[in-house]
Amino acid sequence: MAVITAGRLENGGAAVRLHNLRRTFDDLVVINRLTLDIRAGEFLAILGPSGCGKSTLLRLIARLVEPTTGTVEVTPADVKFHTAYVFQDAHLLPWRTVLENTVLPLELMGTDTAESAARARAALAEVGLAEAEVRYPAQLSGGMRMRVSLARALVTQPKLLLLDEPFAALDEITRFRLDIRLRELWLERGMTVIFVTHSITEAAFLADRAVVLTRKGGGIKMDRRLALPEIRRNELRASPEFGREMEALLAAMEEES
Amino acid sequence: MRKVLGRVVPAAIPLVVFMVGMEWLVRVGWIKAFLVPPPSAVFNTLLRDWRELFTALAKTSAGALAGFALGTVGGIAIGVFLSSSRAIQRAFYPYAVFFQTVPIIAIAPLLVIWFGYGMRTVVASAFIVSIFPVIANTLSGLLSTDPALRDLFRLYGASNSATLWKLRFPAALPQILTGLRIAGGLAVIGAIVGEFIGGQGLGSVVDVARTQQRTDKVFAAVLLASALGLALFGFINLLSRVLLRRWHASEQD
Amino acid sequence: MSFQRRTFLKLLPATGFLAACSKSSSKIRLALNWKPDPEFGGFYAADFAKHGLDVELLPGGSGTPTVQMIGAGSAEFGIIQADELLLARARGNDVVALYAAFQNCPTAIMAHASRKLETIADLLKSGTLALESGLPFARMLKKKYGFDSVKIVPSPGGDLTTFLNDENFAQQCFLTAEPLQAKRKGVEVKVFPVSDIGYNPYTTVLAVSGELLRKNPELAKNMVTAVREGWRAYLDNPASANQKMHGLNPSMELASFAEIAEAQKPLLETSLLGKMTTERWSTLAAQLLELGDIPKAPPAAECFREL
Repeated sequence: MAVITAGRLENGGAAVRLHNLRRTFDDLVVINRLTLDIRAGEFLAILGPSGCGKSTLLRLIARLVEPTTGTVEVTPADVKFHTAYVFQDAHLLPWRTVLENTVLPLELMGTDTAESAARARAALAEVGLAEAEVRYPAQLSGGMRMRVSLARALVTQPKLLLLDEPFAALDEITRFRLDIRLRELWLERGMTVIFVTHSITEAAFLADRAVVLTRKGGGIKMDRRLALPEIRRNELRASPEFGREMEALLAAMEEES
Repeated sequence: MRKVLGRVVPAAIPLVVFMVGMEWLVRVGWIKAFLVPPPSAVFNTLLRDWRELFTALAKTSAGALAGFALGTVGGIAIGVFLSSSRAIQRAFYPYAVFFQTVPIIAIAPLLVIWFGYGMRTVVASAFIVSIFPVIANTLSGLLSTDPALRDLFRLYGASNSATLWKLRFPAALPQILTGLRIAGGLAVIGAIVGEFIGGQGLGSVVDVARTQQRTDKVFAAVLLASALGLALFGFINLLSRVLLRRWHASEQD
Repeated sequence: MSFQRRTFLKLLPATGFLAACSKSSSKIRLALNWKPDPEFGGFYAADFAKHGLDVELLPGGSGTPTVQMIGAGSAEFGIIQADELLLARARGNDVVALYAAFQNCPTAIMAHASRKLETIADLLKSGTLALESGLPFARMLKKKYGFDSVKIVPSPGGDLTTFLNDENFAQQCFLTAEPLQAKRKGVEVKVFPVSDIGYNPYTTVLAVSGELLRKNPELAKNMVTAVREGWRAYLDNPASANQKMHGLNPSMELASFAEIAEAQKPLLETSLLGKMTTERWSTLAAQLLELGDIPKAPPAAECFREL
């Protein structure tokens, strides 16, 4: 069981409460009566087959789309700049340098230029891109671009970090590296992380808790606390406890696919 | 140097072949010189009447450039305005299309009545003819912003103005430049048409030479007008290179 | 020339092939240099079929290049002005005149009567003048009087709007057309015929390519005969041809057709309709030579043919 130690909560995470959430697009019911409580500081993985509404759920939490009925409650309430979102593609502004891209959220918030630059540099350092500051996205590899996207997400010290299959387009080694780094960052900062994926391996490696959605209508098939250590390294992937969690998740996924 | 030659020579070869061919065809009488002048006659005229022709070129350039500049500014402004909402688009876009469809030859006499003989009519004509591609491409570019990036801006509570100037407009720049490329050549055509009626520049040279059956002079003037269009096109390409060099696929080797 | 012609024509029946050619049944195109109006009355009144000719009249407009069309072969015959022919020949375009409808050139400059101008010289002292500045008559005017005090702008090509709205605006016109139109719109005008400065080319001239003339002189002769008869018919009674032309050019009222047909009579009537003289052609050539529009003056005999 992951332990949330006292020291980390000073930055703190947001708690998210979904109650009877329903979202339709014309006649199509994408999410149907979903209720879920996410604790502050939790690392939650949302798993499910394609088309099960994972991305929609994430966008509902981010308030990018409004629910048809039901509620999304985020505590603390004013989280406009405390929610960050990482997309499947890095989605950087190609006409801006790495630094200028990272600084963007602070720029939009109206933060002082000098301070923004300093914070952006710090964020880039955390993802290992300190030397790439003046490069343009076109000059970076896919993995590097995703790191910039991550740095951009972290620069506002978010209480809620939402990621929608961010590493899906990357090669496995880069993926493993970023998985480890993401987990480290979560441990350092204590924010709430909600990570959408269709990879059982990734969900098991990253999260404390995994929710498997049903194939249709976004209901919850399984909600499981993962019995895995706090610090995760690649060796874990070969361990028996990992295998056990994987099996459970796999079983749930298989039934829904 | 070699790089420049490498670009210029392949383009120049068909031209040289064509000109030699034309010269020969006229000299052996297959093509009548009074219908299509041989290249040698055109060049002779360029040299002999250079003062008149280049003064005319300067005038046409001024008119075309002014019309083009106004068309660029106006076109981008209208494009931005139209992109602000669906309702506005539906209400006003059809009128913008009017710029595209109005036959300039038919309304040129009206232009003279409104703007008088001279430069104002020329500029007005160049403006009317060149503005639509700028409007259409600006609008298209502004409407095709990456939805994920729009979400990102929304997430951070960016104002409409911030989203426009920091995201949508830079993203639309490649497309706007495409619009400018098209508009440049059209501005030259518009200027010449305006000059037929308004009476100056290369358009006037063509009109007068025509009544004198001086096809060599007509061709010489047309050649200069094409050169002007080409220069404008080249300038926009240069601009595109400078603006997009670092980040857009179209300018990367 | 005449004797040679008669000999040649006598030989024609002996060559059946040529005889067949002379009664060609293919379509003959006659390109007009303006929209159908009374200046072409005789062509529309002509009975071409009677002379075994299948003629199609091609209406023109502003800038129709009739003399080039003849040279390029896109029309067998065309209507041009005498000075155009001389320019064409100087450029290597072998065109020959056959019939001159207007014995006197109707080109004129018109100005608002309210300006109380006496002569062309007065007109050139102020205001704006719209004309086709490349044409010989314009260059002659410039040479004789200078354009320093007047603003020269392109001719509006039949559109009277600017003239009607601006008292100081004068423009090139056809004696028989624009002045009457202006009067109808309530503006009294004073006209200054270009012939007053001594420039009087034959106008609305039927021309043919030298090549066609040599290949098929019989055709050309029949054409001229038909045209001459047509003009006689039109001068005596323009009504039916006017009706036909009005149908093709409905923007001009039928009443205008009648008015103009009457007004243009003095410029057309002569002992032999459409006749041309060596003297007139030589004079014109000399004028163009002096203006520098042609490098040398061709002999009149090359320029026109009496058939």
